[in-house]
Amino acid sequence: MKTRWKSIEWMRGNCFGSVRLGLLLLIVLGVFGGLPEVQAAKIGEITETDWTDQAARFFTFKDPSVRYAVLGSIFLGVSCGLLGSFILVRKLALLGDTLSHAVLPGVALGFLWNMTKDPVAIFVGATIAGLLGTVTVNLIRDTTRIKEDSALGMVLAGFYGVGICLFTMIQNLPVGNKAGIDKYLFGQAAALSSGDVVLMGSVMLVACLLIFVFYKELLVTSFDSMFAVSLGISARFFHYLIMLLLAFSVVVALQAVGVVLVSAMLITPAATAYLLTDRLHRMLILAAIFGLLAGFLGSFFSFLGNNLPTGPFMVLGASSIFLAAFLLGPRYGIFPRWLKQFNRSRRIQIENTLKAFYQVREAEEFSKEGVTLSALARRRNESLREVEKRIGHLVRDGLASFDENQKGEVSLTEEGVVYLTPSGWQRACEIVRNHRLWELYLTNAAEYEADHVHDDAEMIEHILGEETVRLIERRLDFPTRDPHGKLIPSAIDMGEVDSNKVEGATGYFSNT
Amino acid sequence: MSTEIHPLEIHDLTVAYHKRPVLYGIDLVVPRGSLIGIVGPNGAGKSTLIKTIMGQVPANSGWVKIFGKPFSKVVSRVGYVPQRESVDWDFPVNVMDVVLMGRYGRLGLMRRPTKEDKKIALACLEKVKMLPYANRQISNLSGGQQQRVFLARALAQESDLYFMDEPFAGVDAATESAIIEILHDLRKKGKTILVVHHDLPTARKYFDKLLLLNMRVVAFGPTEEVFTYDILQKTYGGRLTILSEVADAVGEVHPSSDQRE
Amino acid sequence: MNDFIPSFDFYTVFVEPWTVDADTNIWLLLMGFLVTTACGLIGKFIILRRLALVGDAISHSLLPGIAVAFILTSSRATFPMFIGAVIAGVVTTVLIEFIHRKSRVKPDAAIGIVFSTLFAIGVIIITVFADHVDLDADCVLYGEIAFVPFLDPVELGGMMLGPFPVVRMAIVLLILIGLILLFYKELLVTSFDPALAASLGIRNGVFHYGLMIVLSLVIVSSFESVGAILVIAMLIFPGATGSLLSDRLPVILWMVAGLSFLYALLGIHLAIWLNCSIAGAMVVIALLLFIFVWVFSPKKGLLQKWVRQRLEDPDSPSSTA
Repeated sequence: MKTRWKSIEWMRGNCFGSVRLGLLLLIVLGVFGGLPEVQAAKIGEITETDWTDQAARFFTFKDPSVRYAVLGSIFLGVSCGLLGSFILVRKLALLGDTLSHAVLPGVALGFLWNMTKDPVAIFVGATIAGLLGTVTVNLIRDTTRIKEDSALGMVLAGFYGVGICLFTMIQNLPVGNKAGIDKYLFGQAAALSSGDVVLMGSVMLVACLLIFVFYKELLVTSFDSMFAVSLGISARFFHYLIMLLLAFSVVVALQAVGVVLVSAMLITPAATAYLLTDRLHRMLILAAIFGLLAGFLGSFFSFLGNNLPTGPFMVLGASSIFLAAFLLGPRYGIFPRWLKQFNRSRRIQIENTLKAFYQVREAEEFSKEGVTLSALARRRNESLREVEKRIGHLVRDGLASFDENQKGEVSLTEEGVVYLTPSGWQRACEIVRNHRLWELYLTNAAEYEADHVHDDAEMIEHILGEETVRLIERRLDFPTRDPHGKLIPSAIDMGEVDSNKVEGATGYFSNT
Repeated sequence: MSTEIHPLEIHDLTVAYHKRPVLYGIDLVVPRGSLIGIVGPNGAGKSTLIKTIMGQVPANSGWVKIFGKPFSKVVSRVGYVPQRESVDWDFPVNVMDVVLMGRYGRLGLMRRPTKEDKKIALACLEKVKMLPYANRQISNLSGGQQQRVFLARALAQESDLYFMDEPFAGVDAATESAIIEILHDLRKKGKTILVVHHDLPTARKYFDKLLLLNMRVVAFGPTEEVFTYDILQKTYGGRLTILSEVADAVGEVHPSSDQRE
Repeated sequence: MNDFIPSFDFYTVFVEPWTVDADTNIWLLLMGFLVTTACGLIGKFIILRRLALVGDAISHSLLPGIAVAFILTSSRATFPMFIGAVIAGVVTTVLIEFIHRKSRVKPDAAIGIVFSTLFAIGVIIITVFADHVDLDADCVLYGEIAFVPFLDPVELGGMMLGPFPVVRMAIVLLILIGLILLFYKELLVTSFDPALAASLGIRNGVFHYGLMIVLSLVIVSSFESVGAILVIAMLIFPGATGSLLSDRLPVILWMVAGLSFLYALLGIHLAIWLNCSIAGAMVVIALLLFIFVWVFSPKKGLLQKWVRQRLEDPDSPSSTA
C-alpha cells in the first residue's frame, strides 16, 4: 500500500504526458500482438483445478488466452479511464450508464449480421445502438416535458429490454457458434480472441491520440463551453467527439466487462483519480492507471475461479481502489482529514490547559512557580482525573514537568504541583497574549462591546500567527492591557528578550 | 470604405427562444474606445444579446458585424467573460490553467501554450492581483477571486472588443473597484468594452455610455444623457409591459418544451 | 434470418394462448399486470421526486441483499429476502449520501459507484454459490415470468387462490394502493414542495425513507418475474407515457393501470410470436407504446405540434433558423 502512495506522489512530481503513456502501451501491444495466434483451451473448459495452479498459469503468461485476457483488460481499462474522466468532469456519468446499456440490441444485431461473433460487425452495431440511445435521450428531453433523468432511465431500460428479447431469440436459434454471446452481459475476458484484442488496442490508441491532439480544446470545452465558443472552438463538435470515443470504449469493453457493469469502469477509476489530484492531465493519467489496474485484477480473479464472470471482479477491483483513495487519499481522504482534525483539537486542548496554568499563576500574582492540580481543575472546571490526563499530554510533549520532590514519585495527586518547561511557559504566554490582544482588537478597532469578545477570542487565540499578532500590535500601538484591564503578556514574559533591558519587566517572568 | 469600421454594428436583430421573442429589432452601432454598461430588468435579454453577438444563440433575423466582419472571422479580436455561475468551480484545473485558456484562441491545433503565453498569463494575473494564487485549485477561491481569474483570462486574450456578463455579481467591494480600474485602463488603450450590469446606481458611476435594454433598445448614449427618470421608467416599467404580454401570448400559442425548467 | 423471426400466424399468436394454454397464460397476464401496476404507481412518485436514477440504483443494489438472505436461509421465503433487500437498499442510500458528503465526488457519480459495486458483489455471490443453492442467476437478473404459473399454489380455506408469487404481488399492490390513498396529500406535497411540506409539519424524511422502503418491497416481489434490471423500465415507462397524455396526477395514476394491462397482454403475445423473454417483450411493448404516444398524443404529440406549426405560420422564425 505504501509504495503505491509513493508512486502516486511521484507521478504528481513528474507528470509525464499522456502521449508517452500511449507510446509505452503501443510497444506492449507490438510485443504481444506479434505473438502467434494459438487456439488454446478457454478458461471455461478447464475443470476443477487448484487456484494456486491457476495463479501460476496466470502469471507465467504461457497461455495465449491469458495473454489476450490480460492485454484486453488493460486496454479497456485505459480507454475507459480516459473517457470516464471526461464524462465525469462534464457531469455525464449517468449518460455513460445509459449508453452502455443501450448498446445491447446493437450487439445482438451485429451477431445476427453473419451469425458469428464477428468483432467488427458487433462493434459497428453496438456503436450505432449506443449513439442512437444518446440521441433518443436528447430528443425526449427536448420535445417533451419528461425530465432528463427519466429520459435516461427509459432509454437505458427500453433498449436493454429490446436487447434481452433479441438475445433470447438468438438462443433459440439452431446456430452452433452462439455460445459466446451471453458473455456480453457480465463479461468473460478469457473468451477474448486476438481480433478482439487488436480492436481494443486500436480503440485505446485512437482515444489516446485524439485526447493528446485535442487536449486543450477538450479541456476548455469541458470547463467552460461558452468561453470555448467565444474562442471559435466548437463545443458541439467536441461533445460529439467525446460521445463517439465513449461509445467506442464502451463497446470494446463489453466482452470483458459486460453491458451491465461497463459504466462502473468509466466512473469509478475516474472518480478515484478525481479524489487524488486537482489537474485534468494528471487525472487522466491516474484514471488510466487505475482502469488498467482494475482490468488486470478483474481478469486475474475471474481466472482463479472456474468460469467466473470478469466484469464483477473488475468492478470490485476498481471499487477497492476507490475505497483506498476515499479513505487514505493524501488531500481529500477521510483518514488524513480526521487525523488533521484530531491533531488540531488535541493542540487546542493542550493550549487551553497551558492558558489555565497561566491564569492560575496570574491569580496568585505569580507568587509561586508551580500550580497544584486541584487549582488547575477548578480553573478548567474539570475533574481531577481529566486534568491529570491533560497534564500527561503536556509532559509527553515536553511542555511541563511535575514535582517529584514532594513524594518522590511521579504520581499525581490533588496536591501535586506542576511546573511548565520554558517552552511550555512561552506557549502559555503566547496563547494568553493572543486572546487578550484579539479582545482588545475587537473592542478598539472593530467596536465590539467588551463583554461580547471573549467567545470569539477563545477560538481565534489558537489560530493567530506571529505575523498577524505583530500586525495587531502595531495597529493597537503596542498595548499592555486588555479590555478587562489585565496585563497582556509581552515578549519579556516569554523569555525572548533579556528582562534587564526592557522597562517594566516585572518579576512575573521566572526562569524555571 | 469611406466610413469608419466600428467594433460592433448590429442591424435589426431579432432572437426568439422556443418561439418566445427575447430581442426585437435591435439596432446598435458601438464606437471605438467606449465603456458601455448594458442595463435592463430581469429577462430583458441582456445576456442573450451578448450570446447572440458571439454566435452562441442563433438569431432569427438581422445581422451582427464585428470590425466589419462576421464574428467567426474575427474571433481572436473578441474577449469574453461569462457569468461566474456558468462553470463548475470544482473542475480539476488551477488558476494558471484557467488564465492560459485565454491564449487558446491564438494557439493552433496541437500547440501547447509556450513560455511566452505563460509570461502573458502571469502578467494578467499580476494585473488583477492574483499572482500569489497562480497554482491554487480554483475551488479554493472566493467569489471575488474567481471573478478576477475570469477577468485575467479575458485580459490574456489581448482582444480589442470585450463582452462581460455580470462581472460585478457577488464580488466584494475591493474586487469591484479593482475590476473597474482595469476596465478604465482598457478603455484608455482604445479597447471597447460592453458590460452587462444589474445595479443602476453604480451603473451611473462606472460607465460612460449606457445601453438601456428591454427586449429592444430603449436608449443608447452617454450616461448623463440617458440616465433620466423618463428613460428608466420606460426601461423598467410602463409601456413596454404590453410588448412582454404579447410575447407571453405568443409563447402560449406554441406550448413547447420551454415550459420545462 | 428466416429462422430468426418466426412467421406470424394469427391463430397461434392470438387465439391459442387463450384456448389451449389459457390456464398458464391467465396467471402470466395477471402477474405481469400486477408487477407493472405496482412498479408504475410507485415509479410515478419516484419520478416526481427526480429520483428515477436512485430507483435504478436501488433495483441493482438489492441483489446482494437478496442473495445473502437466500443463501443464509436456503429458501425463497419472502420475509428474509425482503429484510435483506431493505438492508441493501438502506446501505445504498446511506453510502451514496456518505460518499458525496465526505468527498467532492458528485452525487451522480456516487450513485454509479455504489450501485455497480453492490451489484457486482451480488453477481459474484450468486455465481460462486450457484452450484449449491437453487437460485438461478439468469432468473434473478432477467426474470423468468414464464415459471410463475407453476410455482407453489396458495390455498386459503380450501379455496385455491393462485400461485404464490401472484398472490404475494397482489397483496403488495393492495398495500401500495392503500398507502397511496392514505397518504396521497402528503406524498404530493413532499414531492412537489418539500419546504411547504416542512412548514405544514409534514416530515419529509419519513416520507422519503418510507417511499424507499416500499420501493424495496415492490422490487423484491417483482424481481423474480422481470429481473433486477428491467424493473427500472416498469418503474419509469407507465408514468412517463401517462404524463404525455395528461397533466393531472390522478388521471396519470389510472392510466398507469391501463398501460400496465396493455404491456402485460401485448407482451405475452409478442413473446409467444417471437419466442423470446416475456419480461423483455413487455419492455419492448412499453417502449413502442411510449414512442406511439410521443408521436401521436392528441395534446402533446410530435405530429400534432408539427401540423399545428405548419398550419399556423408556414414560415415561422424557427424554420428559417
